[in-house]
Amino acid sequence: MACALHIFAEYVGTVSLMSGLSMMPTLADSGEIVVEDRLSIRWNPTGIARGDLITLYSPLDPSRIICKRVIGLPGDVVCVDPTGQKAPSTEHVVIPKGHLWISGDNAAMSRDSRDYGPVSMSLVRAKLRARVRFLDRTSTVAHLAYIQIYPDITIFRNPITYLD
Amino acid sequence: MAFATWLSRLRIGRNASSGAPRSRRIPTLILWSPLALAFGNYFYTVKLISGRSMQPTLNPDSSLWRDFGLFDMFSIRSRHEYQRGDIVAIVSPENPRRMIVKRILAVEGDTVRTLPPHPDPEVRVPDGHVWVEGDDSFHTDDSNRLGPIPAALIESKLVCILWPFNRIGRVTVPAGETLNSVHNWTRQSVQDAIERDKWRKSRVTKSSHRVPRGPHVY
Repeated sequence: MACALHIFAEYVGTVSLMSGLSMMPTLADSGEIVVEDRLSIRWNPTGIARGDLITLYSPLDPSRIICKRVIGLPGDVVCVDPTGQKAPSTEHVVIPKGHLWISGDNAAMSRDSRDYGPVSMSLVRAKLRARVRFLDRTSTVAHLAYIQIYPDITIFRNPITYLD
Repeated sequence: MAFATWLSRLRIGRNASSGAPRSRRIPTLILWSPLALAFGNYFYTVKLISGRSMQPTLNPDSSLWRDFGLFDMFSIRSRHEYQRGDIVAIVSPENPRRMIVKRILAVEGDTVRTLPPHPDPEVRVPDGHVWVEGDDSFHTDDSNRLGPIPAALIESKLVCILWPFNRIGRVTVPAGETLNSVHNWTRQSVQDAIERDKWRKSRVTKSSHRVPRGPHVY
């Protein structure tokens, strides 16, 4: 039974806890619960779009899993750092075949492709589908006040629209 | 035929005696398959090796069959243990659907003298990366073309060859002393393997100490 659950988490999807500052406005720095979708990556490893939230194995440390947003796909030309802090803002790179350009939403506190360059698509583990937060509110039933804990679910949709 | 009867006994025989209603039985095979799957995912798995990039260590021209190898997932996926000289299965950095089998030449911090397709004469392997090469440097897509590869892409390491019957066993570089004890007609190949290993090692400058990792911002 445990094995079956494990296999499900490995191939289909799982619920996991996130921590870290790098995705700050989208995901809080600790205790964030997210729904990871692994099936679509298993099914179609190259089916990643710009703007998707993904989890991937850190290219710097194989035992860490990081969460970032996809900025560029293979063949795109990307400005390394538009703010000019980590690289001159005129520096551009072409993303090689099978690689992605990733970035944290909180640029100031994130180590991402600006530091280590494009990352391989094979490192991608899952797509993030939703975020769950448990909030509490005070409710009353028959003049008795009690604290009700309710889930607040945010479903992540790709924010990018293309103007052709 | 014998297998079919065994299978049917496995499915029906056990549960018939326990008296559970027919509709609620779970076939034993399905019941236990997650265990087998998890074992294959986390401990050991058998893979067919194709391609000629690891010749003559794997799939030599003299062999009629392609090699089956036993790969160890546990020490890579759970313990992240790999060394210079290990033969490993790696998810290709360019195509997530493809696996490649290569030998680790250098680990993080080492300096490698590269081979032709690479633009720089020497490369320092960055943190969390490895330098991999095929044993046959003419027919291989390795770090000389792709650059250092993230260690997270290493999936498993080769423990031993399982199939072509005459080469069953561990894949190791023969020690110098064995040269005297082998037949004349294998002496040349043993000598070649030793030479190749020396050449590989001569191109790597090992880092004397591991640089302590600073506090990471992820």
